[in-house]
Amino acid sequence: MQQSFSIFPFNPPGDSAALRADVRAFLSLHQAKLGVPNCWVVADAEFSRALGAAGFLGMVLPQSAGGHDRHPLERYIVIEELLAAGAPVGAHWIADRQTAPLILRYGSEEAKARYLPPICRGELYTCIGLSEPGAGSDLAAVRSTARLTTEGWRLSGQKIWTSGAHISHVMLALMRSEEGSERGAGLSQFLIPMDAPGVTIRPIIDMAGEHHFNEVFFDDVLLPEWALVGTRGAGWAQATAELALERSGPERYLSSHVLMTALIDFAGSEPEPRLRALIGELTAELWTLRQMSLSTAAKLAAGEDPMVEASMVKDLGNSFEQALPQRVQALVDCPSSRDDDVARLMRALLIAAPSFSLRGGTREIIRGIIARGLGLR
Amino acid sequence: MSEQRTLLCDTAQAVFAEAATAGLAPIEAAGFAQLLIAESNGGFGGDWGDVFAVLRIAGAKVPHLPVGELIIGGEISQPIGAFIRVAQAAGAMDAALAMSIDYTNTRQQFGKPLSKFQAVQQVLAVFATEAAAVNVAGAAAAAALDRANGDVDAALFEIAAAKLRTNQAIGQATAIAHQVHGAIGFTKDYDLHKLTGPLLNWRSDYGNDTHWAAVLGGIAAKLGGAGLWAEITRRG
Repeated sequence: MQQSFSIFPFNPPGDSAALRADVRAFLSLHQAKLGVPNCWVVADAEFSRALGAAGFLGMVLPQSAGGHDRHPLERYIVIEELLAAGAPVGAHWIADRQTAPLILRYGSEEAKARYLPPICRGELYTCIGLSEPGAGSDLAAVRSTARLTTEGWRLSGQKIWTSGAHISHVMLALMRSEEGSERGAGLSQFLIPMDAPGVTIRPIIDMAGEHHFNEVFFDDVLLPEWALVGTRGAGWAQATAELALERSGPERYLSSHVLMTALIDFAGSEPEPRLRALIGELTAELWTLRQMSLSTAAKLAAGEDPMVEASMVKDLGNSFEQALPQRVQALVDCPSSRDDDVARLMRALLIAAPSFSLRGGTREIIRGIIARGLGLR
Repeated sequence: MSEQRTLLCDTAQAVFAEAATAGLAPIEAAGFAQLLIAESNGGFGGDWGDVFAVLRIAGAKVPHLPVGELIIGGEISQPIGAFIRVAQAAGAMDAALAMSIDYTNTRQQFGKPLSKFQAVQQVLAVFATEAAAVNVAGAAAAAALDRANGDVDAALFEIAAAKLRTNQAIGQATAIAHQVHGAIGFTKDYDLHKLTGPLLNWRSDYGNDTHWAAVLGGIAAKLGGAGLWAEITRRG
């Protein structure tokens, strides 16, 4: 009988409870930094270095690369604890989640030696150069170019909506390396030092007044040959495989979790019926999403492609974390003069939430991927 | 899935196909009432994961028959009844989804199959995701019952969450199933109502949304914010 979701058991090796306790002990030492809404885009280099020193970054990388040879599901336990606590993990998030695994798998020896150890120490941060002015949801429309010359690669063009470019040391960019190529063919991935001559970063301030994303310009940027990641011309396949890492994690439903925590604390042990019901509904949805996310992580860890499952978790999770502040607002009286945790977090998340179903692939693109999995397109 | 469970599901598929017209008799004759009874007592020695797998198929093939009540036997407690309905709904929803995909891939309008319209693709993606949520929640509730050796109180958190999430999904899933089928799905002759009719009733059975939201909300409030997260992660 047809099944809408393949279920994989979440069985990390070792003592999960002890690992979880270790993370919570670490977090208790950094209490003042916690409780941040949408915390995985909030950078705190000091916190990232502390995480690195504690062995919580580069967990799945080999020790030879500065990592810790841990299982992907052990890493999952660590990151879900960090996210649930609202820890400011934004500085290293992309490097630890996807750039490091990609460099390990496809990168040159020079790239591995140069970049992986500092990523594991929480000292080197990366950003993802995908979107361009003419290539948003339609990523295959990428036009920025890379040309191989006798001196090395020369890059020209522009990226936009690049989160964290201004705090990153390196960008992993998708560029058109083959002249005259179209769509997904002829693309390659490159590691670009953000301080290379010819790289210009301009901030784009978001509607909350925050500086997260940027425009990045490449004016004849010269890179050594080893900056190419993986196979020349195979960038599309590598970048889309990377999306499985980008879209499958618990950050796709936990961005508003600190508000849920604050709401429950505000409600007390005997909340009035409507508040109690809202907490019950949110708990059922959170618990179900977590089960779906655990299964997806387990499928990915088993070496299978969870593209459809990851898309389902992301779509459902984004809708959950996006609706949460509005559901709180509808029930709890939070005039603008109120400034306790519930009101403060609610207001911050109301403004941040529209981005949840845009970043990492819009809701419409994600549902299109699910529809393809269903055999509709 | 274990080999034993695969065999069990194959048997259930065959027996329930017969039961679709013959009623409960073939299901009783095949011994499904002994599913949870220990092998040492002459039963099948199955676990709650097996019950979930069988009831999922029952929800798809014989949603009108009280298969869960037959398997459990005797008086059905509200949480166990809720678990039964979650399992049936998981199967019925996947079956209604399969019908919807098949129909929209076949039915042509404006010179192409309905499934080629993005508006249709997008709502079916939502449907599939809701069905997935119910299937995952039900399987996790079964796993909780197995960890608790069938102690309903020890698995109440998961059962409450699964039934509430299923109730939420039923509204959206049945609405989309009917919407993409158009008028034909609203007729007595077309089989969609054999799935959506029971699904709509199951939302009320053994605790509606308000009931389970109060139960789960009460548990969560007593745990407190950080306590709820600790409890969710402790339970697995």
